[in-house]
Amino acid sequence: MALQCRLSGATFQSLKLATIPISSSSSRFIFRTLPKTLNLALFSRHSAPKAPPFSVLIRNLSAPAVAAAPAAETSDIKVVKPQWNAAIDFKWIRDNKEAVAVNIKNRNSNANLELVLQLYDKMLNLQKEVERLRGERNNVANKMKGKLEPSERQKLIEEGKNLKEALTTLEEDLVKLRDELQIEAQCIPNLTHPDVPIGWEDSSKLRNMVGSPRKFDFPVKDHLQIGKELDLFDFDAAAEVSGSKFYYLKNEAVMLEMALVNWTLTEVMKRGFTPLTTPEIVRSSVVEKCGFQPRGENTQVYSIEDSDQCLIGTAEIPVGGIHMDSIVAESALPLKYVAFSHCFRTEAGAAGTATRGLYRVHQFSKVEMFILCRQEESDMYHEELIKIEEDLFSSLGLHFKILDMATGDLGAPAYRKFDVEAWMPGLERYGEISSASNCTDYQSRRLGIRYRPSESPSTTSKKGKTNLAATKFVHTLNATACAIPRMLVCLLENFQQEDGSVIIPHPLRPFMGGVEAIYPKSR
Amino acid sequence: MKGKLEPSERQKLIEEGKNLKEALTTLEEDLVKLRDELQIEAQCIPNLTHPDVPIGWEDSSKLRNMVGSPRKFDFPVKDHLQIGKELDLFDFDAAAEVSGSKFYYLKNEAVMLEMALVNWTLTEVMKRGFTPLTTPEIVRSSVVEKCGFQPRGENTQVYSIEDSDQCLIGTAEIPVGGIHMDSIVAESALPLKYVAFSHCFRTEAGAAGTATRGLYRVHQFSKVEMFILCRQEESDMYHEELIKIEEDLFSSLGLHFKILDMATGDLGAPAYRKFDVEAWMPGLERYGEISSASNCTDYQSRRLGIRYRPSESPSTTSKKGKTNLAATKFVHTLNATACAIPRMLVCLLENFQQEDGSVIIPHPLRPFMGGVEAIYPKSR
Repeated sequence: MALQCRLSGATFQSLKLATIPISSSSSRFIFRTLPKTLNLALFSRHSAPKAPPFSVLIRNLSAPAVAAAPAAETSDIKVVKPQWNAAIDFKWIRDNKEAVAVNIKNRNSNANLELVLQLYDKMLNLQKEVERLRGERNNVANKMKGKLEPSERQKLIEEGKNLKEALTTLEEDLVKLRDELQIEAQCIPNLTHPDVPIGWEDSSKLRNMVGSPRKFDFPVKDHLQIGKELDLFDFDAAAEVSGSKFYYLKNEAVMLEMALVNWTLTEVMKRGFTPLTTPEIVRSSVVEKCGFQPRGENTQVYSIEDSDQCLIGTAEIPVGGIHMDSIVAESALPLKYVAFSHCFRTEAGAAGTATRGLYRVHQFSKVEMFILCRQEESDMYHEELIKIEEDLFSSLGLHFKILDMATGDLGAPAYRKFDVEAWMPGLERYGEISSASNCTDYQSRRLGIRYRPSESPSTTSKKGKTNLAATKFVHTLNATACAIPRMLVCLLENFQQEDGSVIIPHPLRPFMGGVEAIYPKSR
Repeated sequence: MKGKLEPSERQKLIEEGKNLKEALTTLEEDLVKLRDELQIEAQCIPNLTHPDVPIGWEDSSKLRNMVGSPRKFDFPVKDHLQIGKELDLFDFDAAAEVSGSKFYYLKNEAVMLEMALVNWTLTEVMKRGFTPLTTPEIVRSSVVEKCGFQPRGENTQVYSIEDSDQCLIGTAEIPVGGIHMDSIVAESALPLKYVAFSHCFRTEAGAAGTATRGLYRVHQFSKVEMFILCRQEESDMYHEELIKIEEDLFSSLGLHFKILDMATGDLGAPAYRKFDVEAWMPGLERYGEISSASNCTDYQSRRLGIRYRPSESPSTTSKKGKTNLAATKFVHTLNATACAIPRMLVCLLENFQQEDGSVIIPHPLRPFMGGVEAIYPKSR
């Protein structure tokens, strides 16, 4: 009632807004992509009453058209418009709803499949109704072309006008319905590879292990102590200048970071990947389309004040954006990129001893691999990516295990995810140094990246029309080739010597001017 | 009131004491406000100026020296954007969609060239006794201000992080300046010479026109920066040292450039004296700034709180009893660009382009690029 009192003559407008069914599920941030406009909707969605499903149709038949009132005046309950649309295959979801429901459950996602299906049904019905009315309006228009009595003409004009108003209202409702369907459906996580174990972290399956933990015959130091003694980093000054979890690298650590980046890029380029450096400030919509949530609670994403821009947490985002909203020739696939960038993460919600030193920081350098490929080939390229990682980390002499991550640990975009955990003797545990995900078409449906399968020669003709094959969505994959801080932890802790020095792995030496070890400096 | 008093006398004194206390509290509050306002106004006063600095605006800047001369081309000269397009070295269009204008991806040999430039520059400057660093690129806004920048001014160059007091750095000068914030350095530790590699972020608000095409003016770039903290008497000398290092670096790469002693109107608040290096960019048909070396004397150190204690003479130090500590002084700080990647890429691509569309890589960089001697057009 308060809504109506606030308005002076736009009451029906407010009713329209109030009766769009609003879902009441809460705490769904974890797995879904949030449109930017959710800020306002967050609170209203939790408090809005669940309206009866068919109110839209009922109301429309009785409401006369009104001039649109400015949205700002109308109500507390705002209809949320998604900033962008994902090309979601609703029909497929409906036809496979049991599988989708099981997947949602296994992934511990809070996506509301029931609501999506309801909205989809309503939308289909509304579409039919709109088409019917359009047909009637066309009939009326056709009738008016002939010779008519003035009174008959007048009746038709009236009828035409009523139909037009009703149509306008229905079309507006259709738009709102589509918007809400989008928002709900965007929450549905990607499907899961059949071999992926179901459960949480403990259920992740060991794919293989390389090497074994080094046996030390002297007390093992952690990377922080080594770094202090060799004057390799400064966390204290950074805490004053920037805050906790920031750091300066100094002396040989700087050269080591450069060598790691340089060597990694060179190695991956040899395997046919195109090297890139990327923007580290991107539009928040691109972040969302890749499956991250810039504005969720405990978001990992830094936002820039007074803008729609964010800092990237991984080069996956700007690289994913390169072919946004485009159709790639099939012959161009696979597109393989290896990108070097700095990455920024808020690490909100992360606490505890596992965050000491370089293990969890707000800013770091990373070399990332990214592949766009044909649908049938993504499993194969996933294997290729994890093989490259295995080769890189073995070359450096690390001991590590590769895990097939369980459904609860996948995150919304990944169809399948392999994590590499390397042995960190100073921390006395395995720590994640890399992750390789096959996102199939989850990101490409949001980023709008398609490919056109090559036409067979028989359908191409110089004269007349070419029969173009229908486009398909590419599959995208991403994998960490080198995350510098974790790599530094591994190298320092694994290759420390009793005299306090650290041996540089052979492959890196040429990229560091031939330096063979980092020695304690005499002071 | 400590002595023996009549009750009425005591009462009078108590009253008087109370009045005095209230008056004092008011005055002390006024003093705090006055000090605050004094600070705010005084912080606006720019640094002093070196006596040799020309007075005036950009046109008054004085030429210190010129190295090399413009290359003579016997074929039509392309600008770096065209060269980059033909050699598939950057992508501004995709970046405009993903991030906005003045952002870019580097591709293929341009990536290796950036890495070679950074690596070579760091190596060369390290040889001259500078400690290499990488730095945080997010810093507290107070540190930005203490270095002499204005995060929240109109047309600010500084990006701020939402819901925080943090900003993105526009230069490594800021986080390096902050390392010794609020501390007293031993005189024997000076000079402290750092060479820092970082990404830099600038809003470039208010910058417009043709001088902003392509890589010439961008929001994000890699830069190697030199920073020195030294004794007051030595800053002029280190300023000369820094500009000499720059001259050596740019000559080694085969660039033609001029070094300018910037006029007073162009100094900005922190600099006592500033030398700019402008290199010839044949594609843009003009000289473009590739580097800047500033002596900030004690402007930044008074804000950052960086002092040094002159070494005591042996006679005042005594194991028994008190040592006579010399009074602290403010260090002088200097900063100079060793390599700003995008402008360097403009110079290298435009100056070393060949008629066949290839670009020759300067010799010093080749070992840092796996021996690559040139960037060739790719057959498609």
